[in-house]
Amino acid sequence: MTASTTSPSDLRAHLGSLQLVVVTGKGGVGKTAIAAVLGRLVAGSAAGGRGGRRVLVLEVDPRENLHQMLGLPPSGGDLADAGGGLHLQNLKPRDVLDRIVAERLKIEVLSRRVLASPVYQQFAEGAPGLKEVAILGHALRLVRGLDPVARADPFDLVILDAPATGHGVSLLAAPSLLAEVIEHGPFGHMGAELAQWVGDPQRAGVVVVTTPEEMPVQEAIELRLRLRERVGRDAELLVVNSVYPPLPAEASDEELAADPALDLWSHRRRLQEREMARLEREWPGPRVLLPKLPLDRGPELVAALVECLRRELTAPGASRLSEVEAVR
Amino acid sequence: MELLSDRHPLLIVVGSGGVGKTTLAAALGLSAARRGRDTLVMTFDPSLRLKDALGVSEEAREHPVPVKLAKGSARLEASLLDARLTFDRLVIRYAPDEASRRRILENPFYNHLSGNLAGILEYMAVERLWEVADEGTYDQVILDTPPTRQALDFLEAPSRIVGFLESGALKIALRPWFDDAGHLKATSRLGFLGRGFERFLDEIVGLGLLRDMAEFFQAFEPLFEGFRERARKVEDLLRSPRTLFLLVAGPGDERIADTLFFARRLREAGYRLGPVVVNRVHPELPVPAGGGAAEADPCDVDGRRLLAWLGHRDRRGVDQLASLLGDHHPLVALPLLPDEPTDPTALQSIGEDLLDLLRTAPDAG
Repeated sequence: MTASTTSPSDLRAHLGSLQLVVVTGKGGVGKTAIAAVLGRLVAGSAAGGRGGRRVLVLEVDPRENLHQMLGLPPSGGDLADAGGGLHLQNLKPRDVLDRIVAERLKIEVLSRRVLASPVYQQFAEGAPGLKEVAILGHALRLVRGLDPVARADPFDLVILDAPATGHGVSLLAAPSLLAEVIEHGPFGHMGAELAQWVGDPQRAGVVVVTTPEEMPVQEAIELRLRLRERVGRDAELLVVNSVYPPLPAEASDEELAADPALDLWSHRRRLQEREMARLEREWPGPRVLLPKLPLDRGPELVAALVECLRRELTAPGASRLSEVEAVR
Repeated sequence: MELLSDRHPLLIVVGSGGVGKTTLAAALGLSAARRGRDTLVMTFDPSLRLKDALGVSEEAREHPVPVKLAKGSARLEASLLDARLTFDRLVIRYAPDEASRRRILENPFYNHLSGNLAGILEYMAVERLWEVADEGTYDQVILDTPPTRQALDFLEAPSRIVGFLESGALKIALRPWFDDAGHLKATSRLGFLGRGFERFLDEIVGLGLLRDMAEFFQAFEPLFEGFRERARKVEDLLRSPRTLFLLVAGPGDERIADTLFFARRLREAGYRLGPVVVNRVHPELPVPAGGGAAEADPCDVDGRRLLAWLGHRDRRGVDQLASLLGDHHPLVALPLLPDEPTDPTALQSIGEDLLDLLRTAPDAG
């Protein structure tokens, strides 16, 4: 079952209509896979005459993983075309920041010296919210067609595979923080503008990813509360990833004890059900469940999960994953 | 090899987020105490379940709290690391007077230091470790590192601090940038670069933030000398032969690159890499008959097939990792348990399993 205030099929259209979707959650829950899955789902859904939207998945992690999900070689920071209207890029926040400074200072020798100076180094690493703002600013420029690489053909939607949870909220709260500490100048204005952008539910959305395990669920619930508190917005969707299938209804306790596979399956599934029950109580917004699949990470896994997510969003409750065994 | 002994009174547990570092740190703590070693487990962000299992409350943020153990065990204490709290404490202790203390604690820049200023916050946690080691009240200290892929940032924090203190950044930051009226003064002294800076700072950064930063560094100046001294000692401690790193990895071949990356970086940095523990390895199970390759529904998988696949995947991962690490490097695979540990007994049995597996593993070369 999918608890929801919006109907999930509307949700799919809504996510597709946004300019920015931030995918966040605890490390190790499969954020990158879900970012790729959302990208494929939205890019593949023909909304207009051009047949689908131009989507970019942006990965912010010094170690590239996203390319593997989409079956591409590492891009080393360049924009890469994954086909079907989907693109990807691995982003280093410092590079973006350095580029903004270089653009501002114009004179090359001067910008080189500024960039190499210890004060700038400290500032770039230490100024609150600066790197986060650089990431979001880059996304906004891509959507507006202001970035040189996307000037001719701006992206309709940027999906941001955000750093792990705590940083996810920092990312979204950064623009208003920066606007607060820097009242004027380009970074200050950028902060104010981006704060409006990420706070506007018609333009920006947040998708939280978790697995049905204690710590990721705890972080997802806290993340939502902090989002409301610090950014003044809710998350659009919770994706519960890596769910074990429910046990066969006919399995008896004796069978469970005798069969090590069944025994492990039932114990792990029970742990997951406890966390799913907690989410039922403590996550009031839309929620979808995606199965743990016997597939290595790569395009095949992404394609299968796109299908599962499409179904979850079209026919909520049809999946067996949410069947909670009453007595065990 | 023997993990808990006087050869390595300090054990640092590292690895990616979500691999079960904290649980293993706690499990080893219980095992150490049972072996008669007075033990401290320092951790960052344990789950509610683990805190319950140890019977540890939020009080552990303030000071180490005892964990109740069966009779005959040595002392086990747990401490929750809170970087910000440690930083505040350090300021309170080392600031020469009340006024400079307040200048730092109330500085807006200090208050916005949510991330890291050259890793100062991360450094604080390592600093706590040094304090504990220096006091020498425990036979065994087990440190669980932050749940981040960049756990190495944490270890590199002391050398970054020293680097920062020795770079020109501090000298520049400590210049009297502002006159009494709060206006930027005398940047022309810096010549061409200075004028560029002035424009850069004024237009791009804004003077408010810069003022806060400059004040922060000035207020901090009296603390820096002691700081540098201690950062060196902390570095020595981390590289001492008495400190051993336990690298915990997730199962599955997709995690191998991560694990090797960690192992290489630790060795390159001059740390002693102890055993690699692949945690939560799925057991190998027979592939169920029937089903075949063309499964009817890609989203509705049979649990037995899924578990057999996971067991196979993890086996493959452990084998590959073992061969990549080489014959002489201890690697042990801890099985995925049906249930998560919810009490000291269950935790301790994980610790014992790990120690048993390690006993037969080769010594690190």
